[in-house]
Formats: sequence, C-alpha cells, structure tokens
Amino acid sequence: MTSGRSLLRFLVIALVTGCGGGGSSSSTGSGIIGSNVPGSNVLSITVNGSLCSPATSASYINKPCVSVTVCSPGAPSTCQTINDILLDTGSYGLRIFKSVLSPALSFTQVASGSGALAECVQFADGSAEWGPVQVAGVRLASEPTVTVPLQVIDPGFANISTSLTATICPGADQSPAAAGFNGILGVGVFVEDCGQACANSPANGMYFSCSGSGCTGTSAALAQQVRNPVALLPQDHNGVIVMLPSVPPNGAAWVTGSLVLGIGTQTNNAPSGVTAYPTDQFGEFTTVISGSAAAYSGFLDSGSNGLFFTPPSPSRLPECSAPNAGWFCPPSPVSLSATNTGSSGSPSGMVPFPIGNFNILVSSYSYVFANVGGSAPGIFDWGLPFHFGRNVYVGIEGKGSSLGSGPYVAY
Amino acid sequence: MKRRLSILSVVIALLAAALGPVRVAQATLGENADSVASDRKALSAAAGRSTVRDGYTIQEILSGAVTIREYLSPDNIVFAIAWNGLSNPDLTGLLGAYAGEYHQALQKASRERGRRHYRVKTNRLVVEKWGHMRNLQGRAFVPKLIPPGVNVDDIR
Repeated sequence: MTSGRSLLRFLVIALVTGCGGGGSSSSTGSGIIGSNVPGSNVLSITVNGSLCSPATSASYINKPCVSVTVCSPGAPSTCQTINDILLDTGSYGLRIFKSVLSPALSFTQVASGSGALAECVQFADGSAEWGPVQVAGVRLASEPTVTVPLQVIDPGFANISTSLTATICPGADQSPAAAGFNGILGVGVFVEDCGQACANSPANGMYFSCSGSGCTGTSAALAQQVRNPVALLPQDHNGVIVMLPSVPPNGAAWVTGSLVLGIGTQTNNAPSGVTAYPTDQFGEFTTVISGSAAAYSGFLDSGSNGLFFTPPSPSRLPECSAPNAGWFCPPSPVSLSATNTGSSGSPSGMVPFPIGNFNILVSSYSYVFANVGGSAPGIFDWGLPFHFGRNVYVGIEGKGSSLGSGPYVAY
Repeated sequence: MKRRLSILSVVIALLAAALGPVRVAQATLGENADSVASDRKALSAAAGRSTVRDGYTIQEILSGAVTIREYLSPDNIVFAIAWNGLSNPDLTGLLGAYAGEYHQALQKASRERGRRHYRVKTNRLVVEKWGHMRNLQGRAFVPKLIPPGVNVDDIR
C-alpha cells in the first residue's frame, strides 16, 4: 500500500504540475507548507494542492483534501487508498463515490428489513449525495483499520429514475466532477450522521429501505447509521485537531497542514493554549458579531470554503456583482470581530476576522484565502478561512479529554 | 384563484402519475391561512406553536424530520415560509403557485461548490437554504407580500 500511495501521490503531483493548475496549483502561484506533525495518528492535509484531484477542483477555492484507505471488511489486504477526500468538520461519516472504488473491493451492504439501507444526505448548497450504506474497513493515517458503515455515493443505486431522485434526493450529485470531490470525510462533533432522530422515526428524510419495488423512508439504528470513523478508533477516538498555517492577505496557491487524530491521547496531540466551547445538540454555539445585537448559531465547518454570516452593516460589506453574488466585495479590506459563547452560556471569546474583496482576490493565481466571506441568514459559519493560522480542536460527543467532555470545539 | 388551483391540481396529478409516491402539499405561499391546515394534512404533520409577533403571526407545523414555520400577515396571507430539520422539505407543495418559477430558476442556477448557503431568485420569489448536517435550514418569501415593518432577517 505504501508504494501504491506514493505512486498515486507522484501521479497527482505530476498531473498538477503538467496541467499547470486545474484548480490546485499554478506555475506562478506559490504554496505554503504548514506543520507536518510526525506520528501514526496524523493525516496530511492539502488545501487545494497535491491531495486534491485536478479533475474535480476547477474553480474550487479553499478545498481541504485528505486521503483515506478503504478495505474489504475481513480482508485487510484488499485495500485502496483514495485521495481528493474533502475534510469536513461540519458533517459526520465517510462517503465515497462508487465510481472511484476498485471493483476488487467488496463492502457489506447494511440490510433494512427485507431491503438494502440507503441514504440521502443534503447539504446547504442545495446539493445532495445518494447511495447505499455499506460496511467497510477504513484506515486513517497509520491507525488500526476500523470496521464502519459508510455511504457509497451512487446516483444510480436502486434504479431510481432521475425524476424520482428529484423527489427522494433532490440535487443528488451525479459524479465526482459534478460534486467537486471523490468523497467526504466527516469528522465533526457527532458519532452518527443523523443520531437518535433517525433511530426513532422512519420519516427522517435521510434513510431509506430499497428493494425491487423502490425505496421508502425507514428508521436506522445508531449502529447502522453512517458513522464518524474517528469515533471508532481504539485509542485516538475522542476528537481531531485541524492544523493549518497562516495565509497572507493575497492568498496562496495551496497550503499543507495536518489532521491529528485524538486529543491528549499521544505525545503529539496534547492541548495547548486553547479554550473549549461546548456545543449543543446541533453542534452549535452562539456567535454575536461586534456592532450588532443579533445572536446567530455559530458552527465550525472546514467543508465551507468561506465565512458565511449576516453582515452587521450591508453597506460596509456589499455583495459582489454576478457571477459571484452572495460573496462579499468590500471596496477595501474590512476588519471585523465576533464573540463566540459556548452553548452552556460560557466561556466567551472574541475572534477578529478580515474580509477582502472576493472578485479581486480570486482574479489572481491564488486558490486559498483566509479572508473570503459571503452572506447567509441566521448563522455564523466558521468555514475554512477561520482555520488558517490556528489549531482547531473538535471534541466528539460523549468522549472526554483534558478540554472537557464532547461535543465541543476548541481553538 | 380557482383557475390557479385547478392548474395546480393538474400539475400535481401529472407529477403523481409520473413519479409514484410524492409528498404533495396544497398551495401555501401567497394563499390564506386555511392553507396552513392543508399543508399540515398533506405533510402528515402536527400543529405546533402559534406565535404572535409585531405585525405578523408564525404558525409552526411539526413533521418528523423538519419543523416548518408559516408567516402570516395581518390579512391572513402566508408571505413567507421558513424551516429547519434533518432534511429540507419538498418545496413543490409549500411554494404553491410559485413552485414552477422556482424549479425553472433552480435549473438555471449554477452549482457553487463549498458553499453552505444558496439563494434562488425569481421575479416574485426568493428561496434560500443554509445550515449543516442535522440542522438544515431555509426560507422562501415573496418580497411584495411582506407586511411593512417586517425585517427579512427575522424570517428564519
């Protein structure tokens, strides 16, 4: 596997270099190499860069990629290492397109009554992923392989027609190129992607039982649901740390960093100089932007490529003209700040953040920016820009560390 | 009014025939308060809280995966809908007479990867979605129907 992985990386780098970018790198843009923490519990991250596939990354800014190894359960030597997996602290569980999986792999279909368990997960950009829930061996970094239900993204699963997909799973991505990734690794604060609500009710809109006659909504026991593989690790299961370097105001072509598994479980993941903010049952805390009285639901989400919030003053943060409407285009860079408060009412801490002109920033050779944002009602989405120049800790529900008991985020 | 409803019924019937089991609700956005009850029935949902705010009323509908809030103006017209839950509701029924233009605009909208917010605008309607796994949220409103003094930011 090691040699296969190196070869894959070599090929990806060769492709990136050869094509002069494809959304990842460019001959004139420069990258930033961040912390490369040694250890068997550390995955490399590249934001754009070599772990992101040029085939899926065109015009995709702030895209954090990792690679994971999946194996046939019970056959630990039948494995495949897959890159271009989106690192997402805003979701839970591993999802991989069927079209990038080797036919040599054989996962175990999770049953649902007399049918097969399938899932539709919706994302807030209007997209969705559809496909069966199957049990696979998953290896993160050089951790022991864990056996875990994941989603095989397969828009053709259960032969649901395009029109029916529009009903059961509207917006379902048809390919990695359309989605912008080969898969998603959800390592947020929860163990299951749905939780108790889907165990209790068949009308959850996420889980379906599919047989020859079609698909109908079903409940799914916690152990059957797509699960955050980190939570199943034998030792480093209480959370993750996302470490990414600072990015200058004009951006960078790519950056590298580390995803460290476990919090205070090894010599390389002891918490240092951070404050923990407990989250509620949605993984949310409270965010108040300075200069505004409104309190919004704050959450951490490395899979969001900007900071998304309601501007306290629309005249200071005008939206861009088409085709980038929705992003902010202030005439000159704006310095803002917001106060995050744990869901229990404490602690509180202020976070300064800059917002630059999106149209000007993306018209460069850069793909990675710490200062891009856009409008969204009701929330403060601390997306990837928040992570640059920080070590961001994600504490998994029901598991403890010296920072407290999850769910929490710390930085 | 009658004509619009009958066209809608034909569309729904065609959809139902073409798609098999569809969660169909009755017309809502832009309709009067009675449509809250018909939405509830169509979604097999329970009535939730009714909240009176300054200048409008919010009627909640609780369905398994999602809580839908219908915003009623003083003259009992639904001027906005907001929701949150595990999945987004089927908007076709909730948007009523506005569903057609929404789906047309949606087809033209380009995919913006990495975003956690999207907005589809037509000449009469705005539909937005935001949020994240386990708490997907959204709203649909008709700017021209919003009563004077109501802040759009409060529709959520």
